[in-house]
Amino acid sequence: MKRRIASVAIVVAIGAIAVVVGAAFGSWAWGADEESSSVATVEEVESPPVCARSQRGSWQKLANEIRAPVYCPSWLPSPLVGQFGGRFFNGRSVDPDRSYLVSFVWFERSLGIVNEVHVNLRGYPGTTRIPACEDTLTVAGKTVRTRIPCFSDKRGTKRIGGATVTVYTANQGADQWHVLYAWRRNGTLYTLSEHVAEPYGVEEVISHLDRMMRRLVLVPPSA
Amino acid sequence: MRLTRKQLVGGAAASVLAAGGIYRLVDELTEPPTRTASGSVRPEQHLLDGVRVVRDNGVEVLVPPLHHEVVTAKLRVGASPSELHDARQNLEAALTQLDERFAATPSGLGVTVAWGLPYFSEYVPAQAERYLPVDLRATAARGETVRVLEDAIRFPSDQDSTRLETNDLAVLLRSDSLDHIAEGAATLFDDHDALVRVTSIRKGFVGGASEGGPGLPKQMALAAGIQGAELIPDGAQLFLGFTSTQKAGLGPSKIANLETLGYADLGPSGYFAHGTHLHLSHLFEDLAAWYQVFDFQERLDTTFRPGLVASPETQTVAQGPKDVQDERHVRHDYERHRRIGHSGSVQPASRLARDVVGPDGTRYPKGTAVPQRADFNTLDNPFFWTSEPSRDAYAEAPSAGLHFVIFNPTSDDFRRTRLAMDGVLPGGRLTFETGSRGQGFNSVLSTTHRQNFLVPPRAHRSFPLAELSA
Repeated sequence: MKRRIASVAIVVAIGAIAVVVGAAFGSWAWGADEESSSVATVEEVESPPVCARSQRGSWQKLANEIRAPVYCPSWLPSPLVGQFGGRFFNGRSVDPDRSYLVSFVWFERSLGIVNEVHVNLRGYPGTTRIPACEDTLTVAGKTVRTRIPCFSDKRGTKRIGGATVTVYTANQGADQWHVLYAWRRNGTLYTLSEHVAEPYGVEEVISHLDRMMRRLVLVPPSA
Repeated sequence: MRLTRKQLVGGAAASVLAAGGIYRLVDELTEPPTRTASGSVRPEQHLLDGVRVVRDNGVEVLVPPLHHEVVTAKLRVGASPSELHDARQNLEAALTQLDERFAATPSGLGVTVAWGLPYFSEYVPAQAERYLPVDLRATAARGETVRVLEDAIRFPSDQDSTRLETNDLAVLLRSDSLDHIAEGAATLFDDHDALVRVTSIRKGFVGGASEGGPGLPKQMALAAGIQGAELIPDGAQLFLGFTSTQKAGLGPSKIANLETLGYADLGPSGYFAHGTHLHLSHLFEDLAAWYQVFDFQERLDTTFRPGLVASPETQTVAQGPKDVQDERHVRHDYERHRRIGHSGSVQPASRLARDVVGPDGTRYPKGTAVPQRADFNTLDNPFFWTSEPSRDAYAEAPSAGLHFVIFNPTSDDFRRTRLAMDGVLPGGRLTFETGSRGQGFNSVLSTTHRQNFLVPPRAHRSFPLAELSA
């Protein structure tokens, strides 16, 4: 586990402030409603989200392949850039059931500290059920496999980016260690998640997810 | 020669003893629980009066003191009878002063003085040979004489780096008031001459949500910037999110006394009757892994028993005699799931296998819990202060952990319980790879220090056996 470095003295000094932040943050998943907030960044007011021309083709191709809309992220947390095949592109996969995973990651190990920014976008065309993952536990030579929800520990819902997202904090597979937003649209389940790891803690990740949600661009299949 | 206060407590420890550090925040984050004001002076040092009972999820829960502190020390005093006599008088006078000032309740101050094997072997070896009780059960099991106080051991899930300490004494201070604890520590450690060298100061907190609110673990972890802090449930008593002080899950009244269950031969004079055994350890808790790798069901499985059903966000789970797992259940879980739960696995060792009637006529039914826990969460890394930072791998950055404090009748009784937590049961060992998720808790815990102590009865709490001739 990576721990933030801070001296006790500093913590004491900032303690009261941090608690206030924490208390405010406590409402992050419990009915916070974007539409009830009058706060918006200049960027959001001035520019509607646009899927960059350089990326649009890749997302369009994916949408066509799965025969369902996909979401193109017009903003990703620094230093990620959502370019398929680019420096931060971590893969694109489509399963036989047409569900997809697109992943962007930045990873750096310095002085024994691992820094990672990792965002996953998923879609499950034709189903709104939380998928099941296989949990494999091998002890003393015996392997026990159990089916568990891929997304778990629901932390409430909020309305954001025109969707009602449910927040999950204990997730499996490629989304393990991620905070994950899941929402449903026209009979399809979509998810967006970000890894909680240095340099970003949970509150920054939540902030990123909120912003990414607001900046998603729906790309319908053209076929 | 009279030492200065600074010399007395080992330099910087003098100023640290009175300092609250980040723990001062506790008093800003929560109000002390409502308490009864008075308490009686019991022959036992380890029992607190005035501990309130509340109900959560239909389960009776004890409300422990908010603040805890443990001070460990080595003695500086010489081993001659006259020096020990003087030291004994000094310490007892200080303790009596605290008794007169505070009731032994959470709203007052609970003071428990415990003594390590190095004290008995270096200062009163002949008396210890005669008077230190023999653990009859352990003696029969191992075929050799086993005392109720033994050196701590590393358990299978411990790292090789887990340090087995050799302190002469440890003092546990418990109160809802940090000022009371500071006064207690100052009275015992600042105001004596050439008595002790403080080796560590360990501080922490527990609860804080018995009357609502997010509770101390979450708020303190947030304040310290601990990864995963945001995921601690509101109202959690401890960092890991479940309530540990269910009344039925803790040993009642005098059950952990040396004399109660008949485990010990107290010797010719019953010198240590009303005493008990204390195990003290520190462990780090990986909260991010606990809340992000384990989902609620897995946390429930691993804290209690595999397959346990409880509604999401449940924090208090019934742990009464009817909820107890025996060894057969634990083995069944292992065979089927390759998992054991923490509570379930220790219960074959920590609960009475049959009805027992104590020497005072109290009946303890089968399934009754024996250990009395007094552990508390901490942000120490690993200690608030240490006399040897390098040896103890001290760091200033706060880190989530637990100072584990538990009263059992004997070292062997604690050993059996802790081994069971690692799957070492009377009927044979359940094999787990180191760090396996099948062992639940153990995969997110990392124990740094351990030591066993004997807690004498109040009458002999100061330099026990030193008043007797060798």
